[in-house]
Amino acid sequence: MAIENVGNMNKLLSSYNTQDWMKSASIDQATLPQFNELAANPSIGAKPPQSFSEMLASSLTEVNSMQVEANKAIEKLASGQTKNIHETMLAVENAEIAFKTMNQVRMKVIEAYKEIMRMQM
Amino acid sequence: MNIDDKTTRALAASLKYRQMRQELIASNIANAETPGYKAKKLDFEDALARALDTDEQQTLKTTDSKHFNVGGGGFNNLQPEIYEESNGIVSPDGNTVDRDQEMADMAENKIMYDASIQLLNKKLGLMKYTVGSDR
Amino acid sequence: MDLLTSLKISSSGLTANKKRMAAITSNIANAQTTRTAEGGPYQPKEVVFGSEPAKESFSEILSGEMGENAQTVIAKEVSNSKKPPVLKYEPNHPDANAEGYVAYPNINTMEEMANMIEASRAYEANINAMNTAKSMALKDLEIGKN
Repeated sequence: MAIENVGNMNKLLSSYNTQDWMKSASIDQATLPQFNELAANPSIGAKPPQSFSEMLASSLTEVNSMQVEANKAIEKLASGQTKNIHETMLAVENAEIAFKTMNQVRMKVIEAYKEIMRMQM
Repeated sequence: MNIDDKTTRALAASLKYRQMRQELIASNIANAETPGYKAKKLDFEDALARALDTDEQQTLKTTDSKHFNVGGGGFNNLQPEIYEESNGIVSPDGNTVDRDQEMADMAENKIMYDASIQLLNKKLGLMKYTVGSDR
Repeated sequence: MDLLTSLKISSSGLTANKKRMAAITSNIANAQTTRTAEGGPYQPKEVVFGSEPAKESFSEILSGEMGENAQTVIAKEVSNSKKPPVLKYEPNHPDANAEGYVAYPNINTMEEMANMIEASRAYEANINAMNTAKSMALKDLEIGKN
């Protein structure tokens, strides 16, 4: 039923009377969403699917780069190149939270592995 | 993450120099009325920035202990600069201390000192967490 | 070690300003004193500041990195001979001399009040410096505390 409604909406938008009405109300038709397209591709902009190990590796590099950024921010503050204490604190907090999250993920992964190893074959 | 990485050592060095700066400011404030006393300032930020080499701009080699420390992370032989403020107010008896400016500098120094200690604690705390997390 | 030296410097500032306050209050109280134990009118007290290197021994100066840059302040009370007594014509005053003039101390009370406010502000500034140094030293104890 939803698909019927979407088709009807499209037919309505492209019919002659509504085009007149849209012109008089100065609505630009090009910016209206094309409902059919949205229904066909629900994940516009989604990345191609990654394997689990790739995702883990990319997260690790991201966490590491956050640590490096935090270190740089601290060094800038200590040597007086910036006076923004709040930016430095935020960077350090972010890095710490990311690291602790990754650590939790690691523990869960290890636990899952142990669980699988315990399964009786 | 090293136990003794460059950032931690830089923070520790900045603590030391901020203490020295506090001593100098205390001396300026105590001598704000002494005839002929010239106000002094301590500058370590430039030396520290050079030693840190944050942007990796510099490509100097250090082969002697008397060379400037560039990027190597050797913070123990930094030379802070102690100089006299040359364009300050000079009162008729030769004193150049601006007490309110010194108070402002002291407040800023204290805030940066507290921030440095807190950042140091954060880094040490993270290392302790890594060591102590349940395997 | 440097923070403790900082405390010593600030405390020297406190002592010096206390001496100055004592001299100022003595001057204000005795602004009309024409008769003293030494004879003659009251002599205004004045305090002169001088600075001295903060470290005590030469070896400490050599080992410290500050060298002679940090200075304590020493207050010395001097008698100001550039302020001779003011003579006022009061022939009926018990301390009048042969010509009928009484010698009053050369004390400008307004000036002394201004000096008193200045000394008070200097005292507060030194207290501030001392508190800052103390608080920095206490913060050091919190390194590593979660």
